[in-house]
Amino acid sequence: MKNLRYVILLLAATSIFAINAQAQVIVIANPGVKANEISKNDLRDVFTGNATSLPDGSRVVPILLKSGTVHEEFLQVYIGKNDTAYRAGWRSLVFSGQASMPKSLDPETVVVEFVAHNAGAIGYISKSTPHEGVKVLTVR
Amino acid sequence: MKRFLVGALALALGAISATAQSLEDLNIQIHGYATQGFLYTTQNNIFTAKSSDGSPAWTEAVVNLTSQPNPKLRVGVQARYFMLGNFGNAITLDWASADYKANDKFGVRFGKVKTPSTLFNETQDIDPSYIWSLLPQGIYQIGSRNSNLSHYGGVVYGVVKLGSNLGKLEYRGWGGERVIGSDDGYWVNQKEAGLNMQNGISGVTYGATLHWKTPLSGLTVGGSNLKDNQWVAPLTSAIPTYGTFPGTETLNAFNSPSVHARYEKNKVMVVGEYARLPVTGAIKVPGVYTKPIRLDQRSWYVMASYKLTGKLTAGVYDTQIIDRQMALGPARYSKDWVISGRYDFNQFLYAKAEEHIIDGTMIGYDTAMNPGTLKPSTKLTILKIGVSF
Repeated sequence: MKNLRYVILLLAATSIFAINAQAQVIVIANPGVKANEISKNDLRDVFTGNATSLPDGSRVVPILLKSGTVHEEFLQVYIGKNDTAYRAGWRSLVFSGQASMPKSLDPETVVVEFVAHNAGAIGYISKSTPHEGVKVLTVR
Repeated sequence: MKRFLVGALALALGAISATAQSLEDLNIQIHGYATQGFLYTTQNNIFTAKSSDGSPAWTEAVVNLTSQPNPKLRVGVQARYFMLGNFGNAITLDWASADYKANDKFGVRFGKVKTPSTLFNETQDIDPSYIWSLLPQGIYQIGSRNSNLSHYGGVVYGVVKLGSNLGKLEYRGWGGERVIGSDDGYWVNQKEAGLNMQNGISGVTYGATLHWKTPLSGLTVGGSNLKDNQWVAPLTSAIPTYGTFPGTETLNAFNSPSVHARYEKNKVMVVGEYARLPVTGAIKVPGVYTKPIRLDQRSWYVMASYKLTGKLTAGVYDTQIIDRQMALGPARYSKDWVISGRYDFNQFLYAKAEEHIIDGTMIGYDTAMNPGTLKPSTKLTILKIGVSF
């Protein structure tokens, strides 16, 4: 019984951390992007190369993090793939002449700087990373 | 046609050079991959390799160079070295194209471009993208891959939203000239019988593919039709003790339809596809003989894969092809049951292992590497290592 209590507590703690982890990733965009929110489907389409614009017509360019927990979390929550599978999908497009590989940057402050100064740029960072000069898109 | 396209591509590259202020503006990217495979068959020799003894004669390397000087225009070129048994062993141009994407609903690319027929045609050569070492050979024959992958001409493409809760429709249309080179896998047995097309065969090709991304997340269904007009090419026929005679090979116009369905979500992927290739024609050697060509190849497969861990993926597929014009016997069909695994060491390096249980001798075997009678079934083991960047 004691062991069962520990297991339940551990599961609860893991769930809390998981929820908090998801809440830590925010989607940022260049201020010139008209939209203030983006659907999960549209976000996935942009970051998998299936779309280059949002429903409002804004042309967008995805910017990736090179690696790290924020990157892995973004892929898991919004793309449904790990980094290897995700990059394999992009390689299909690159090696068949359908797309160019999106830029991958590090650390997050460089992502913020790039998104702030490049029209249409859209990326993702930790909520705790300073992000002046960009707008935060609500994912619905 | 080829000269016109190369000239147009050169103009596009010149325009880019004239307007770009720096290399940064050109957004130049270089990517590539290389693979080394090993084949072993329990019986027969497959893909013109001495696989019954174990053969490492399977090497590929690709270099890809692209530039995107502005958000709507991308130009690029890709070269490949391919060697499988006696196939290839040369550097060829995979594709070289300019791509203008006005918006998500309409884009066009021209040059030597990948042909977007069937489900996997334009990506069948991209080994880093798949768990499989070999795609189902009934539809994606590796010996003819170079010829089927691309054509000289153009592709139009786009995605159209169908309205609320109806999903999206992705369309691809293509047209131009396709070339089946003289060293293509289609001609291996023909060549070994003394028929030689020095310059291969080529002609007009066009078609369309539709993918419906259904409202059910992860499910795509679609179909494709490829149409080739009549193609004619000169050849020579070497008849022992009589000499060599000139002739022609004619392939009559045909349609090649296919349908597919794909479900991919999180760790699971399930795919099914059916394709038909009906071809008629004739080899004519005036004053000597006329040999009719009649094929009606019908092929299907079902495949499934599952991501066991972040680095390990396993999969299985079952595939069959039958030529309804051929006489009864093992040469009329090929059935292949496959189990496969892929391990990703990191985002650059991976390894694959695959076991095929093959029944039937319709595809993959040539007479020079298999003197005497082919055994009706074999097991094929493939090991492969690859790196991509």
